[in-house]
Order: sequence, then C-alpha cells, then structure tokens
Amino acid sequence: MPDANTLAAPALRRPRIIRSYLLIALAVTALVLVVFGPSFLDRFSLNVLTRSMIYALLAITVDLLWGYTGILTFGQAAFFGVGAYASAMVLSHVGGSPALIALSFALAILVPVVLGLLVGWLSFYHGSTPLYATVVSLVVPIVITQIVYSGGTWTGSSSGLVGYWGLPLGLAGFFRLSGLCLVVAAVAACIFVRSDAGKVLIAIRDNDTRCAYLGLNTQKIRILLTAVLAGVAGLAGFLFANASGVVAPENTGFVFGTELVVWTALGGRGTIIGPVLGTIGIDFLSANLSGRLPFLYQLLIGSLFVLMIIFLPNGLAAIATAAFSRFGGRSGDALDNPKLVALDDAERQSAPIGAGDPLLKIEGLKKAYGSQIVLQGIDVEIRAGELVSLVGPNGAGKTTLMRCLSDGREDIDGRISVSGADISGLVPNRIVGLGVGRKFQVASVFDSLTVAECLRMARASLDRPNWFAQSRELALPAPAVEILTLTGLSGLLGQKVSLLSHGQKQALELAMVVALEPRLILLDEPTAGLTKTERTTIGTVLQRLTGDLGLAAILVEHDLEFVRDISSRIVVLHQGKLVLDGSVDEVVNSQTVKEIYSGGGHD
Amino acid sequence: MLILDILTTAAVLFIVSAGLLAIFGVLKIINFAHGAWLTIGAYCAVIVAGLGLNPWLALPLAFLVGGALGGVTEHFIVRPLYQRPLDAILATWGLGIVVGQLITLWFGRDVQFTPGLLSGTVDVFGISYSLYRLFALGAAVVIGLGFAFLLEGTRLGLTAQAVIMNETLAKGLGIDTGKVRLATFVIGTGLTALAGVLLTPLTSVDPTMGVAWLIGAFMLVMVAGSSFGALAVACLVFGGAQVIVSTFVSPILGGITVAVLCALVLRISPKGFARA
Amino acid sequence: MTEAAAMPQATTDAAPAKLEVAGLTSGYGAIDVLNGVSFEIRPAEIFALMGKNGMGKTTLLKTILGLVPARKGEIRLDGRAVTGTGPAALIAGGIGYAPQEQPLFQDLSIRDNLRLAMKSDRHMKDGFERAFGYFPFLAERRQQRAGTLSGGEQKMFILARALMLRPKLLLIDEISEGLQPSVVQRISSVLKQERDEFGTTILLVEQNLDFALGLADHWAVLKRGGIDDAGAMEAATRERILEHLRI
Repeated sequence: MPDANTLAAPALRRPRIIRSYLLIALAVTALVLVVFGPSFLDRFSLNVLTRSMIYALLAITVDLLWGYTGILTFGQAAFFGVGAYASAMVLSHVGGSPALIALSFALAILVPVVLGLLVGWLSFYHGSTPLYATVVSLVVPIVITQIVYSGGTWTGSSSGLVGYWGLPLGLAGFFRLSGLCLVVAAVAACIFVRSDAGKVLIAIRDNDTRCAYLGLNTQKIRILLTAVLAGVAGLAGFLFANASGVVAPENTGFVFGTELVVWTALGGRGTIIGPVLGTIGIDFLSANLSGRLPFLYQLLIGSLFVLMIIFLPNGLAAIATAAFSRFGGRSGDALDNPKLVALDDAERQSAPIGAGDPLLKIEGLKKAYGSQIVLQGIDVEIRAGELVSLVGPNGAGKTTLMRCLSDGREDIDGRISVSGADISGLVPNRIVGLGVGRKFQVASVFDSLTVAECLRMARASLDRPNWFAQSRELALPAPAVEILTLTGLSGLLGQKVSLLSHGQKQALELAMVVALEPRLILLDEPTAGLTKTERTTIGTVLQRLTGDLGLAAILVEHDLEFVRDISSRIVVLHQGKLVLDGSVDEVVNSQTVKEIYSGGGHD
Repeated sequence: MLILDILTTAAVLFIVSAGLLAIFGVLKIINFAHGAWLTIGAYCAVIVAGLGLNPWLALPLAFLVGGALGGVTEHFIVRPLYQRPLDAILATWGLGIVVGQLITLWFGRDVQFTPGLLSGTVDVFGISYSLYRLFALGAAVVIGLGFAFLLEGTRLGLTAQAVIMNETLAKGLGIDTGKVRLATFVIGTGLTALAGVLLTPLTSVDPTMGVAWLIGAFMLVMVAGSSFGALAVACLVFGGAQVIVSTFVSPILGGITVAVLCALVLRISPKGFARA
Repeated sequence: MTEAAAMPQATTDAAPAKLEVAGLTSGYGAIDVLNGVSFEIRPAEIFALMGKNGMGKTTLLKTILGLVPARKGEIRLDGRAVTGTGPAALIAGGIGYAPQEQPLFQDLSIRDNLRLAMKSDRHMKDGFERAFGYFPFLAERRQQRAGTLSGGEQKMFILARALMLRPKLLLIDEISEGLQPSVVQRISSVLKQERDEFGTTILLVEQNLDFALGLADHWAVLKRGGIDDAGAMEAATRERILEHLRI
C-alpha cells in the first residue's frame, strides 16, 4: 500500500485543468452572447433563437438520458408539453398576477416530475428491456396529445391556448432568460457527467448487470433520472409558454419528441455541448430556410440523420473528441491517475466475520427449466475462510447453481441462506448487500470508463460518490489495493478499460468485487483465457483472500490443475447431482470422478 | 352494428400491422419507416388513378414498388444495424422523414383523392353496412391465411421460422440467413405498401398519413411478438376496446386506447400475447 | 480396425490433406479461444480431437465451418484455402456438421428439421430415405416434434441429418456425451461403416476416451487453445491421453 501511494503524480493532471478552463471559457462566451445578443440581433432572429435555446435545453435532457444512460426516449416532448400547458392553463384560466405566475412556475415543474416518476415506474422494473422503455416513451406523448385534444376549453383543444399574460419580459428579456437557463443547465450537466456520480449513468449504459451486482439499484436511479429530467423539461415548457405566448398540441407530440432525438444525434450524443449546438443550429437554419426550400431542408436533415446513425452512431462530436485527445496526448494514459489509498480496517464498513455459523447454506436445492431438471438434491455448507471449487463436466449445472446463489428471483425448490438470511425473492443488488460478490465468467467491467472509475463504481453503493467533481483519491479496502498492486493495475488507474488486455480485465473485475467488501465471493471461471503467470497471480490472490483475510469463495473452474493447487475443498457435480464433496485428495483419488472425466460417465 | 364495427376495425388494424410484424418477427428489427411505406402504397393508388387505370391495379403496383424499395432499404440501411436494434429504429425513422419529404416534393403536401375501390352499402342481418369495410374484413382474412400458408406451407416460411427460433443453428445447417432476411423485408414492405392502397378509401391521402397509423401498428406488434395468430387476437381485443371507448366515451380517447392498453399489457407480461 | 486405419494412410499420402488447419486463431470478443492451432487430416481418416471442457474444441469446429471468423491462420480443404468462406457455401461444398449445443429445432417436426438441412426441396424424398436408413425409428416418428426425441435419439437424429447429405468431411461435436454404452456402440458402427463405404473423412471432437479410441486413426489433444500432444493410435495411446484428461 505505501508503494501504491507514490503512483499518482500531481504534475500530470494538466488535461483535466485544460478541460475545466475550456468549459469556463465556453460558458463565459455563451453568457456574453446571451447578454449582448439583443443589441445586434433583429427581431426575427431573437424570436427564433429564444425558441432554439429552449429546445436546446430539452436536447440536454435527451442527451443525458440517451447519450449517457442509453435510454432512447421520445418522451421529453410530453414533459415539455405538460409543463407548458400547466403554466399556460394557470395563466389563461386563473390569472397572471405575480403569485399566480409563481404558482404556474411551480406546477410547470412539479406536474412533469410526478408524471416522470410514473413513467419511470412504468418503464423501469426488474427485467425490463431498453426497448420497452422506448415503447413507453412513445406512448406517453401520444396520450398527452390526445388528452389535450379532448380537453375542450380547458386546453383549447386543437387550437391550443393563446392570449394569456405571463412573465412581463420583452423579447430581449426572454432571450436573456432562456439563454441564461440554457447556459446554467449546460454547465451543470457538464460538471455532473464528469463527476464520480455522473459516471454511474455511463456505467448503467455500459453494463446494467454489473451495476446491479455492485449493489446499485439501477432501476431506481433510472426512475429518479427520468423524474428530474422531466422537471427540467417542464422548466423548458414554462419558458416556452411565457416566451411564445402560445401553446399548441404539437408541442407535446411524439413527432416533436423524435425531432429532439434527431437534433441530439446530429449534434453528437453523449457530449452535452454537441446537442446544444446541433439543436440551435438546425432549428435556427430551418426557420431561416423554410421559406425558400422547405422540403429540401427537411430532406437533407433526414438523410444526414440516417447516414449518421449508420456510420457515426456517436455523432460528429465523437470524432472531434477523438481528434482532440490524439492531439493533446492520449487522454487516458496515466495522466488522470488518482491517488490510490487503502482504507483502514476501522473504516471498513462490513461487520467482522463470525466463525461459527456457515456463511452459506444450501438445503435441498432443486432447479428445473420446464420439465428439464438441471439441479437436484444439492446440500452444501460453506464457512468463512474456505475456498470451495465446483467442478464437473459440461452441463453439470455449475453455472446454474451460481446463478441461483446470486439472484433470489430464480424459481427454485429448497432453501438458500446467506449468514442465516433466506435469499429467495431478493434481487441481485440486495444479495450483494448481504455480502455476496459475484465475478462473471466473461470479464464484466465498464468499457467506457477508466480503471479507477470502475473501481469507484464498486464503492458507489458504500461511499457516497462526489456529485461535483472527479475525486483525486481512490480509497479501496486493502485486499483490493493488493490485487491492483500484484497485477500491475495500480499503475494503470487512468487507463481506459477498453484498452486493457483480457487478463487485466479479469483482474480488474476481481478487484471490483473485492472492493465491495464481500464475505463470500462467487467466481465463474476466473482463469479462462489467461496466461500461466496471470493464473498463478489470481490463484495467489484467492488464497490470500480466503486463507489470510477470512473470506469464503466458491470457484467454478475447468482448469483442474488450478483447482487442485488452490482449493480447500472440492464439490463435484454431475448431471445436476452432487456426486462428491470432499478434500482435494479425496476427489483426486476418487474412482467415480475418474470415470466421469474419462468416459461418458454414465451411471 | 357494434360487432361489425369491432370486426372491421380489427381487420383494418391487422392489415396495417401485418407487414410490420413479418419484419419484426424474423429480423427483430422495428421498421419505423412503416408509416412511409403505407404512404408509398397510397400514392401508388394516386398514380394509378392519375393514369386513368383500373383502381385495383394499384394493389399489385404497390406490392412491387414497396417490395423493391424495401429490398434497397434492407441492403443499405437495415443490414448494418442488425446488431443495434435501437439505432435501427432511428435510422428507419429518418428514412421515413426522407420518404415523406420526397413525396411532398413530388406531389405537394395537399390531400389527394382517389376513386373508391368499392362503394355503397350492403344489408347484413338487416343493417346496412359499408361494403368496403366488409371487403377489408375479407382482405384481412386473406392476408392472414396467406401468411399462414407462407409460413407453414412453403420452404421460405420454414427457413424463416428456423431463423426466428435459432439463427445459429440455421446457419450451421447451411441456410443463407442473409437471403432469408432480405426476402422477409421485401415481403413485409411490399405488403405494407399494399395495405396503404387498401387504406385509401378510409382515410385522406397526404404525405404524413402513415405516421398516424405507425404507433398503433407498432404497439400491436410489440404485444403480438412474432406470431400472426397473436396479432389477430391483439387486433380483435384492442380494436374492440377502441370501438367501445370511441362509441361510449369519446372518439379522441378511443384513438389512444390501443397504445395505452398495449403498454399496460407489456408491463404485466413482457412477452405480450405471444406466450401468454 | 487397424487395417482400415492403415490403408488410407498408405494410398493417399501424395494427395493433399482433406482438411488442413494452419496457425488458426479465433475467439469471441476480446478473448482468443484458439491460439495458433495446426493439424491436418488425410482423406478417409477418422481424427479424434480430445480435450477437456473449455479448451476450444467447439470453437475450432465452428471456425472451420465459418460460423466464427478466423482471426489468423488458414483453413484448407483438399489443398484449397477456404478461410473466410461462409457456412452455407462450405456445407454445399460437402462439409457435414453435427453440433453439440441446441442441435435441432425442438418445436419443428423431425421431417421439417431434416428438410431445413437440405439445400432445396427437390431431392427431399431421397434425403429422407437416406436419413431413415441409418436409424429406422426416425421414419415412424417423422411427423412428431423433434423435442419429443430422448437425448440419445436426438444424437442419432443429428448424425442422420448430417450423413443424409453424404458429406465428404464430417465435423462431429461430442456425439457420445451423456449416452448409454449401447447407443455409443451403435453410433460408432454407423460412423465406421460410413467411412469404409464412402471414404468419408471424419473429425470427432470428444471427451469420451473409449469411444474415440475405438474409432480414430489419429488423435490430438487440445489444451488452452493449442494442440498439446498428437499422434497415431498405438497401444500406449490410452494412458497417454488419459494423462491429459485427468484431474
């Protein structure tokens, strides 16, 4: 651990500082433009740009949902429309006194947030698919539009609401207000997505399963994000309703929702600034050109969009970012290395491990898929400090058993308990909370993040992540630090995970699982595809974790030499049944096991 | 009367959704340009009328034009996106915009009128009912049976089923899955254009007419999964609900019945009617 | 058996190998499952590729068939490079494949399953007759869902489906897995007869040592993505392979 401390060199933190300066410069420029814009722009441009900037505010929300979190949504138009209608309805039916304007403002945000919670609850549940969320996001604007149509005089039906008095600001005032809101939102979004908490969104997009197995409730995060961004869309709706003095059903519709996605895509999703510039540029140009070549312009946008989706799914800005990082030195390369700190035992959050009772108890486990029985009559107990290997030929049920241990929603007979608590019905992130960490067969990490960010994600459910910045420190439990040091990953903390070798990814995932401070680790073929040296390292780490630190581990493994070298006990499965549970010597010398492995193994 | 309304509404929904289902079932790709293909079909009817030909000729013409354009689309737009289904939705939506604008450039954005394929009413059980809506019912049955035959009775259908069930195995048996996909897309889009012709007597024809039908069809297909039988059931149930809500509550709310009910059904049973 | 094994060796040494794999590397995602695999099989030879689970045996078959793209190296059939050719063309060119995982369409009839393996419906009748000739019980059950076949029957069906096309090179993935000795025996004799009668070259991927020993002329052991050991069948072979397979 002391050698790990010396790894981060503060002098090498320049790119991040450059980036911050760039952001500040951009924000200041934008503010100057917003403040002085009305003095040199004509009425038409002011009008159009006010609208464009409000749309750009919406594009930011689409980008956060789609570009960062991977939720393709057409529904932001609905929240925008609801916000706009909420304020317009108060202003036209109740009145426009300052108090009522404040009320309309509050409603314009509150109503979309509530609707957002509802939509989020509908869209994101355990086992929901990304496609289903998109489906809901299509239905919501359609429903809202139809409700507006059937609202009679309340909503003005198809002609919308006009002629109400809202905020007493002139053309220039609305321009400045919208611009200010846009700049504030853009800066806040930029800071958030670069912060530790913001990386959670990318982690969810990259690998939802891994997030859940790091103890994060991804569905809840998605629902909250949807609700918050619905509120921002509602704010945009409030601005729009006041600035334009008219709201119409089209403002809530699904076609508008798709336009937002098109603008975000063309600007470059996942960049915040790209969608803002894209939206302003396209909306402003189309207002200017629609007089002369209306259909050709739409045609051009449509064609560009198709080409973009096929050939440049990450948008133009992605090329710019790539070029920038090539130009300014590879951004990942050890430059952003945070300082690695080992948590003291006192700071560690898990309770000390009691020796007496079994950590894991499996009683009479039976699992069937339809009529096919995969596991039957499995009874195993595992205590702290044991390293139990699970072996057996293909189809013996090893991976199924691991799945039953880490996901309580698997439909099983029998009982599985961790530290005395029955896990049936528990979703994976709850079982992680009981102290069970799972390492998958294929290294399950976050490809778009750096090594340090992945590790921080593993701590996100235990230590509150920083919402405003990227921490300069990476505090991990001592065993995780040890894995990083042993495998050389401690020198690559700033490296993008996609650039790691297969073996390094496996080691990283193991370090992430250990960073959760589990009492029991489930490992599914941790040595598959590793070199001899890497295998030895993993073996050493596992023996140290169980032997010296008192964790328990269950290992599914095909490499029987490896199993023989490191296990304290071996459990043999064959055709879904437990054939043998004994010491290494007992299993190696067993006649039954020999038969299973040399012949067809028929009984 | 109500029952006839339910049946014929379900029939129209079925006709409109069948092509989308064929593509989704085999390719697992949602063709968001579906609305554009309906529009293309409808404008084939406009062209045929403009040339003074027999309006029924629009049906084969639409099938050919729709299928040919579908083939080009599969090759250049859909093929690179099989691994990215959400992007495929977006790309086909973009294609829909392009098609809509091209039609606008060519024909203008005004509503076009086409001569009715069948006009007048007939007496059914003592009620006089639109002949064309009854014809639509027949057409839906023909399309449904046609697909049943295509899937169950032909080699193409068998290979398509194989691709749906287990694409890896289909490849391992030497089936050229690329060709199956192309053929499915061509048939699906051809059929959609044909459905567009069948819609002309029921709705006005303009460049954005397809979008109105897209969401309903899309939701029905989501619920139906990859089965035509399930689609027929879904059309009957949700079409029926739509007619009832429109008649007794409000026609505007009736318009969203299908979408809302489908979304709720999917929330409760993510596989929809396919394996219920 | 020794006779059959020796014969083709002697007569065809001059001809190009039926299948030659040189420096083959392939895998999924970031992982190379195979790493520079090289071996060759003479015409009409039965070649057993042994190895424990997870060593890349199935991936090797899939790469040969073009289901998984080769990343490095070359595959030659009768001396002609076929690397990069798709499965449809290779199967049409005379390769048969009996896969191990999800090898048939459970919900389709046996008849339709066979039909899907044929290039067209033109010679359907002949194909059926050939397939049913190997295992007559299939003929009675041709209209039943393939899912109703028991594990052993499925294995026989998969073999019949591959043999029905009369392939020149047959790739078989763990056909003996989980089968009763009597069924293994039956499959063994069908394969032997097929080779003797039609000169079929067979690549067996196996874990069942006794089945492989009784059939193969040559063997190799695949370990961690490469050939670890190889040779012709001799008296001491059994012990030598067992050494590789045991715990």
